[in-house]
Amino acid sequence: MRRLVRSTMSDKRAERMLGALASVVLLVIVLMVVSVVSKAWPSFAHNGLGWFGSGPNVDHQLADIFNSPADSSHYVYKLSAWPLLYGTALITGGALVIGLVFALLAAIFIVEFAPRPLRRVLEPVVRLLAAVPSVIYGLIGVLVLVPFVGNQLISTHRKESVIYVVQLSGNSLLVAVAILTVMITPIMVALIVVALRAVPVGWREGSAALGVNRWRTVWTISVRAVRPAIIAAAVLATARALGEAIMLSMVSGSVGFAPNPLDGLTFVFEPTRPLAAAIVEGAEGFSVKPYGQTLYAFGAILLLSSLCLSLGAHYAKRPLRRFGLTP
Amino acid sequence: MTHVRVAGAALVVAALAVPAVSSGSNVGVRAAAKKPKATVITMSGSTSVAPLAAKLAKRYLKQFPGTVKFKLAQGGSDVGVADVAKGRVTIGNSSRDPKPSDPAGLNFNKIARDAICVVTNPGNTVGDLSQSTVQDIFSGKVRDWSDVPGASASGPINLVVRTAASGTQDAFQKLFMGSAKIADSAAQKASNGLVQEAVKSDKQAIGYVSLDFARGLNAATFKGTACTLRDAKSGAYEGTRNFWMVTRGTPTGPAKKFISWIQSNGNAAKVISTEWVPLG
Repeated sequence: MRRLVRSTMSDKRAERMLGALASVVLLVIVLMVVSVVSKAWPSFAHNGLGWFGSGPNVDHQLADIFNSPADSSHYVYKLSAWPLLYGTALITGGALVIGLVFALLAAIFIVEFAPRPLRRVLEPVVRLLAAVPSVIYGLIGVLVLVPFVGNQLISTHRKESVIYVVQLSGNSLLVAVAILTVMITPIMVALIVVALRAVPVGWREGSAALGVNRWRTVWTISVRAVRPAIIAAAVLATARALGEAIMLSMVSGSVGFAPNPLDGLTFVFEPTRPLAAAIVEGAEGFSVKPYGQTLYAFGAILLLSSLCLSLGAHYAKRPLRRFGLTP
Repeated sequence: MTHVRVAGAALVVAALAVPAVSSGSNVGVRAAAKKPKATVITMSGSTSVAPLAAKLAKRYLKQFPGTVKFKLAQGGSDVGVADVAKGRVTIGNSSRDPKPSDPAGLNFNKIARDAICVVTNPGNTVGDLSQSTVQDIFSGKVRDWSDVPGASASGPINLVVRTAASGTQDAFQKLFMGSAKIADSAAQKASNGLVQEAVKSDKQAIGYVSLDFARGLNAATFKGTACTLRDAKSGAYEGTRNFWMVTRGTPTGPAKKFISWIQSNGNAAKVISTEWVPLG
């Protein structure tokens, strides 16, 4: 009897400890959001909704903010960050769409079709790929892909056709999307593989018993059953892509330009600058107060979208639990 | 289990990526400057000045062993200026000249000079560039290599410059561009190394870097003078900028001794002249 009481006591103590730890994490996140948003506030307050719109050259505006006079009543805040937001959306969206297709097919292959020895190699490799630091990808981009695209894929004629608007040097939407795709696909593969494994064998056997071939079974039964998990994987990968800064700063072109889809094929060779890269590149100017606040505003946008995406992934996975599919 | 781990990692990465970057440059400085003792000289700031400051500190300790301790952090010229203004460090390193927007009461002590080279791909040996040619190229007035006298490349010119927050950008604007504005289409890189790499891999590129980073590239002669350490030292090369050690008010105590040692001692001059231009 005594033993029993004591064990429940220590259980309670452990529970309280863990609860406290969890609350600390929550508190840190809340404090972080509050501090970032409060530091970013002047940038939003001075521009209103125009902050999100398009306007004069965003690089000029950032330079003006950086060169603000020391007197705090004359700080410059004028900013229309559309090219940066658009660049972020283009790169993230592009990588997500391409990556999702690859991830889904790769996950199906690993779970359903790969022979056992191959599967044993593939799965750790995928996990390893998901853990490669982004600066490595950035280096590969700068040293290999950017020169290749700039020297081989973009013709002089194409470069000359847009020379008065933007320079095509290989730092481009194409390279940024390609590398980001490679970076986020492994995460999606890992998540989708786990979900596909959790589909009860009976469901698939039932389908096979009706004479449906393997591919069709996977497509109509397994994939359909784990749709919420696929959405969740996509959402988490998007959150990862949004925060990617170093690699994108190295390959995306570092100029606040909004690529124009009307340019045809030239569109994919045009440079842009996503929000996270703008923060890294501006880090030297943090001490200039309005400039620092502007960078915090970029951070706030990224932080809030990441939080929304994480919540979104949580809710997207809910139906899985209802089917009893959670691994 | 894997599921949870991967999902958790992704969430943490997404949530932490931004603030980690934003606060990274200052952390070391604050920790180092928490308890300023009389015998510790703390420095932060310019990444261009940092290698020189480290070498000078080492030489100083060899000459006066045990008198002071040095703590050196980086972060960029503006970080150095802001840190010293707030009293977080003894000396702020800056590779840009004083700006009107700098906090009042700062003392900029010149310690050395550094050359900025206009660089092109080794496969494109441009001849001599006059100031107006440099201005025409970087302002976008001339957009094709065939319009640049002496260039062996052809086709459109790719401009590679630094971000507005960079000290090198500030110096380039003053020394080379004057009132001319750099073209909007120029790619803005975050460091000397990235400019170097971009120019090295692109035959049509032109950029500017600190003399240190011109290795492996074709450094153009400017106004008839080559961009070399020798010509920078002799004063013939005009594209040189100042390196500063910034203090709050006139320097005192060990910081004063250190800075005046740099400015007047022969051993310090020897250290500087390995890769930079000593004063006087």
